[in-house]
Amino acid sequence: MISEDAKKGVNHLFTRAARANLALAPSDTITIEQLPGTAIVDTPQQRILVLTVASYVFRLLTIFHVDNDAATESYFTRSDPERVFGEVFSELGNLCCGAMNRDLGKHFLHTGMSTPYLLESQCLAFLKALKPAYVVQHRIVINDSVVLHATLCLCAYAPIDFRVDSEMAEEATGELELF
Amino acid sequence: MAKILVVDDSSTVRDEVAGFLKGHGLDVATAVDGKDGLAKLKADAAIRLVVSDVNMPNMDGLTMAEKIRGELKNASVNLIMLTTESSPSMKERGKAAGIKGWIVKPFNGSVVLETFKKLAA
Repeated sequence: MISEDAKKGVNHLFTRAARANLALAPSDTITIEQLPGTAIVDTPQQRILVLTVASYVFRLLTIFHVDNDAATESYFTRSDPERVFGEVFSELGNLCCGAMNRDLGKHFLHTGMSTPYLLESQCLAFLKALKPAYVVQHRIVINDSVVLHATLCLCAYAPIDFRVDSEMAEEATGELELF
Repeated sequence: MAKILVVDDSSTVRDEVAGFLKGHGLDVATAVDGKDGLAKLKADAAIRLVVSDVNMPNMDGLTMAEKIRGELKNASVNLIMLTTESSPSMKERGKAAGIKGWIVKPFNGSVVLETFKKLAA
């Protein structure tokens, strides 16, 4: 029900959004590797951040597997004790899925996005109940020290086929559009 | 002194936006969702500009905007959406509610500071 172009498209949109939003500084290195297999698998991380982008014909869950170990917490909070790791990472996940939502909105009418939810990783077992048609996992490494994973879980309620132009320019952000 | 109300369910965004604006001499209040934003605006006549997220629990930003114009009958406060959303249908709904502008996150304070100052004056 999901074409190969659509699978490639979802992975491309995720990779681009993660690259743009998870690396905090332009000088930071970020590698995103698509892992083999299409099963929902456990990762070393104990917590997950879940966001959903949905339309009438699909539901895409983006699940970040992340722990607040010293390296991860220090990186995302910029070592600022005033910043709460869960809050900071939730907003980064929100920016990431917001970018995917905007891109998917070019191919599907009426897409909408959830607010982020931080859950324990045991909740992953319940994803099977959604009967996802496509599952893929990515390993993300920032500055060779921060390691997290992301699972993309695509549920299809109709045939899904779209093609993403990988050369397409990213949408401008931060500008004020006055009406 | 005119005040800006920042409405977002993310404390990271509230802190970032409010911190930036306060650092540039502006008076800022915050609210955690549309319902809270509506209550804060109702209680504080000094608020001249509302900068709000769209997707929030309890009450979203567009519903809040509609209630500001409708229930509160406040036609003078300026409304700006700061959100990851950019769909034309949402912008149309915002325009119908009388919002003044739209910013796609992330927030870049230096780009919007002067406009915010004018809208909050």
